[in-house]
Amino acid sequence: MTAFDANWSLMTPEIVLAALALLVFTIDFMTGIHGKKPFIGRLSVLSLLVTAVLVVVTNSTSGSIAEVFVVDPFAMVFKLIILIGVAMVILISMNFLDRERNAEVYQGEYYSIMLFAALGAMIMVSSADLITLFIGLEILSISSYVLAGFKKYSRPSTEAAIKYVVLGGTASAFILYGMSFLYGLTGSTSLLEIGQAIPMLFEEYTFVVMMSFLFMLAGFGFKISIVPFHMWAPDVYEGAPTPVTAFLSVVSKLAGFGIILRVFFLGFGGVYQEWAFIIAVIAAITMIAGNFIALTQTNVKRLMAYSGIAQAGYLLVPVATVVGDVGINMIVFYSVAYLMMTLGAFAVITLVTEDTGTSDLSSFAGLYQRAPYLAIAMTVFLVSLAGLPLTAGFIGKAYIFFGAVAGEMLWLAIIMIVTSVISFFYYFGFIKQMFMTDPRPNDKELAVPGSMQTVVTVSLAVTVILGILPGLVLDIFNTFNWMAFF
Amino acid sequence: MVPVTFFLALAAILFCIGLYGVLTRRHLVIVLVCIELMLNSVNINLVAFSAIGPFANITGQVFTLFVITVAAAEAAVGLAILIALYRNRNSIDVIKHDLLRW
Amino acid sequence: MGLGAYYDNYILVLIFMLLGVALPVVSLTFGRFVRPKNPYAEKITTYESGIQPEGDAQVRYHVAYYIVALEFIIFDVETVFLIPWAVTLDQLGWVGLNLMLIFIAILALGLAYSWKKKVLEWN
Repeated sequence: MTAFDANWSLMTPEIVLAALALLVFTIDFMTGIHGKKPFIGRLSVLSLLVTAVLVVVTNSTSGSIAEVFVVDPFAMVFKLIILIGVAMVILISMNFLDRERNAEVYQGEYYSIMLFAALGAMIMVSSADLITLFIGLEILSISSYVLAGFKKYSRPSTEAAIKYVVLGGTASAFILYGMSFLYGLTGSTSLLEIGQAIPMLFEEYTFVVMMSFLFMLAGFGFKISIVPFHMWAPDVYEGAPTPVTAFLSVVSKLAGFGIILRVFFLGFGGVYQEWAFIIAVIAAITMIAGNFIALTQTNVKRLMAYSGIAQAGYLLVPVATVVGDVGINMIVFYSVAYLMMTLGAFAVITLVTEDTGTSDLSSFAGLYQRAPYLAIAMTVFLVSLAGLPLTAGFIGKAYIFFGAVAGEMLWLAIIMIVTSVISFFYYFGFIKQMFMTDPRPNDKELAVPGSMQTVVTVSLAVTVILGILPGLVLDIFNTFNWMAFF
Repeated sequence: MVPVTFFLALAAILFCIGLYGVLTRRHLVIVLVCIELMLNSVNINLVAFSAIGPFANITGQVFTLFVITVAAAEAAVGLAILIALYRNRNSIDVIKHDLLRW
Repeated sequence: MGLGAYYDNYILVLIFMLLGVALPVVSLTFGRFVRPKNPYAEKITTYESGIQPEGDAQVRYHVAYYIVALEFIIFDVETVFLIPWAVTLDQLGWVGLNLMLIFIAILALGLAYSWKKKVLEWN
């Protein structure tokens, strides 16, 4: 079957999103460059929701276009995570862009680039071919570079962007260098063919295969910010506009995880035993370093960066311990939980830091007196991030923990528990500020705009419901044959 | 015929030069050039495998075309951000960009 | 040919590298001892096609030049896809033609955007 007579309807959501993104882009530059454009924001959210519906409708049966673009439950769930994540980020951004302080941001461009980033991430999680995968990854990365520098008259923002471009470009080069050897050894860029050839190749060219694996691990590890490839994250997170920080720490990271699973399980699945331990060690270092460095942070965005690094460590644990569908179950469940609790937290952070004009931890002082609902919601998100019972974060972590124990990696499970306990300290630093400190003298009651209210309420609801009734989604996940082409 | 290893070695050397440049050079334009160097070393790899590799076929050259275009897009975005940075700070020396620090 | 002799081949690479380094070093060092040395002011000035050199070699380019260059790079490199497409158009047929038209339409949208943003004006 050639690419021309393939079933192109599988790609409907991507094509529709691309068309809508181009439409948003065109409407923007035809209506003048400057000024506030809340309607474009609403149109973008609508586009994402339409695409999400299309994903559910067209991707529910598995299939592939010439085994290059595959549609399976794994792709579907990750696409939904990405689309909902980006829609919530845009809702947060709409409020962010309305503020006087951010008047210089070109609004329409911001939304269309956000949509293109979502498109790149969707292509990425759906590809089973190194070329498509790389294109998707770069659409996402290049859009993220632009987004990080979107406040172009602000020094921290442009500085964050240039750091991100330089390090991100290097990471891309690493990924490509690894890929080029895979292509050379197998003569194919298809992950399926590579996956079939790998066990035999590993016997013959152990060094080259491992080198290729490590190069790709370094590159992808950069994208999901795991130690020791995390150094960019705090700097970029701090400098970038806050909604973009939310985007980077949620959408970018989870899409990166999607691709890591796809490449490592599909491409290198045959030699799982050889690399599982490397991942386990990196997961351990990531959890330890992320949580310990977070303890010393006083800037909210940097703290969230290190917290995000630590969370990436938790997400890596199942990659190292459980192969196959159960492992993907854990990762996807924790991804959903992570999406909701982190975006909820970032919605509150955006509101508070933009209102007080500083991203210092003290900007949260007395939040309970200023906006009780926000303070309580934030507490739930933090408790969930820390992994205490009755929240989605707890269920996700417990699930991963039992997986690690069952996978006979007890040491990893213990590190996970110990570092989670350490994480309580910095998350409770927030809670202490919100409840036990008086508001700063000129901070008044905090008004919560409608879009923010929506994001916070949705995240709160999902975090709590998944914490109490995890079966709601886990039962669905258990029926999935995640990667139809395993 | 020249064996494929020669090209791989050339690519490896270029990749290392590029990486060294990214890590040590202070001028941001040079840093971006070094990233291009790394990406182009990958192109040499791909084209060499595509022409005289153990499984020579056209896919590698297709991959190269995509890498070239993506590299151009990345360079364009990088330079654009560089211009924005220059307008903000009047310098593109890496050392001076220390606003964000651990 | 296979990758069987993969590691052995590196010895040849090593020899080439050594030769490559040795050649300029040896010839330049040798030349240094043999050549006469008589520098004077006119001789050590930069040679610029026989014309008197003027100003500094490191001129600063106008920032507008960079932006036009960016535009150029993008549109220039995207044409990389046109050549393989044009060569095989007879096999691709109407589908191929339509796909390329979509691609060019997206590029045209980008051009319209930069036109609207006054990137194409020089100031």
